[in-house]
Amino acid sequence: MIIQYLKPILFFIPLAVIQLVIIPLISISNIAPNLVFILIAYFTLKHGQVYGTILGFILGFLLDIISGGLIGAYMFSFTVSAFVVGYFYGENKMDINISSYFFLFILFICGSINSFLYAVISISNHNVSLFFMMFEEGMLPGLYTSLFGLPIVIFHPKEGM
Amino acid sequence: MRKFLRRFVSDYKEYILLIFLSVISLTILAQNEKPSAKHLKIFALGNFAVLNEITNSIVSILKSDESRDDLRNENAHLMLELNRLRKFRAENEELRSMIVFKDTSKYPLIPAKIISKLVTKSLGNFIVNRGSNNEIRKGMPVINNKGLVGLIMDVTENYSVVQNLYNSNLSIAVTIQRTNVDGILNFDGKNLIVKDIPTTYDVQIGDIIETSDFSSLFPPSIPIGIVSKKESNVLGLLHNLQVEPFAKISAANNLLVLKIIPSKQINKLEMNLIK
Repeated sequence: MIIQYLKPILFFIPLAVIQLVIIPLISISNIAPNLVFILIAYFTLKHGQVYGTILGFILGFLLDIISGGLIGAYMFSFTVSAFVVGYFYGENKMDINISSYFFLFILFICGSINSFLYAVISISNHNVSLFFMMFEEGMLPGLYTSLFGLPIVIFHPKEGM
Repeated sequence: MRKFLRRFVSDYKEYILLIFLSVISLTILAQNEKPSAKHLKIFALGNFAVLNEITNSIVSILKSDESRDDLRNENAHLMLELNRLRKFRAENEELRSMIVFKDTSKYPLIPAKIISKLVTKSLGNFIVNRGSNNEIRKGMPVINNKGLVGLIMDVTENYSVVQNLYNSNLSIAVTIQRTNVDGILNFDGKNLIVKDIPTTYDVQIGDIIETSDFSSLFPPSIPIGIVSKKESNVLGLLHNLQVEPFAKISAANNLLVLKIIPSKQINKLEMNLIK
């Protein structure tokens, strides 16, 4: 059980560094993919909803404290979006979910929810329309995140990571 | 009853867990300014930023050039001087009298390099490779060779967190250089906006926005950007001014920290307002 939780944390460290150092270089108008969310989605689809929700909470907390942002913002958005990813979990559907393009669809939907929730929490000026937030701060980062899930779909080994 | 509770927990454990963890997250979110949360953040930031710095140095190995930092430093000094002269000219033409300015170009500059960025639409933060060991203190303004970039919000021994202009928690007292109209600039999640300027005031598209004399967080006359759009509210009595910043925040890489220590009492009050 402990190893089950340690494994994503070990993957988290290099991904968090890439997220904070390299991803800003490829962001478009402050719209960036979220690699840590891809990690959470992947492990949620492998181990289920409860596991994913707890993992989202832990990794969200870690990303919050190392990024200099608001502590609790990623914690909340990752927890909720990992919970939603958990609805796609199925012991018999694991390969279909991860190795097919359906994984990109899951990343898009849940990545959009994650980005939208993060924006809702972190923005203190509420003059921005809900439609704008859903599209520009939810769907666009979600779409960009799903693109980064493509290597997993292509290179995912049948027996998993 | 016990059996019912057990069955209830078993049937709805996912929802109970979600609610429990969400409540914890939101509670922590509300406690962000507590000293314990600050200490935790500073500790984690100070340790993890080392990894970021190593990665950043590998990434930027091809474009590193020591002489560029000196040139940037000099450029920033010249930019501040030029802006100060522009203001002198505008006021001389209008008033033909002498006005005492605080000289922004006299402040020493500390060069700093961005080692990581939190890319979000509403919480623009940078982590830079200078900290309290380099005499950086919380509340110091951060500029680049084009203009104002942000404000130092957290400081560890070797690293600092910069809250940039695209952070909806940062509000800045600004003035329009040509007409001395004052206002408050903040980020609404989409654009930099100076809100509620009366339509009777003379404001034109292209006017330069700079830090105001009223701000004790920022020295006066640091250029911020230009007015790119004017929007009237429903009654047509007030304008919202959209501002295009001079500094390209998303492309920023090398920054300069203005080494000024503002009045502690006023600074404390303003920092509390930002929070």
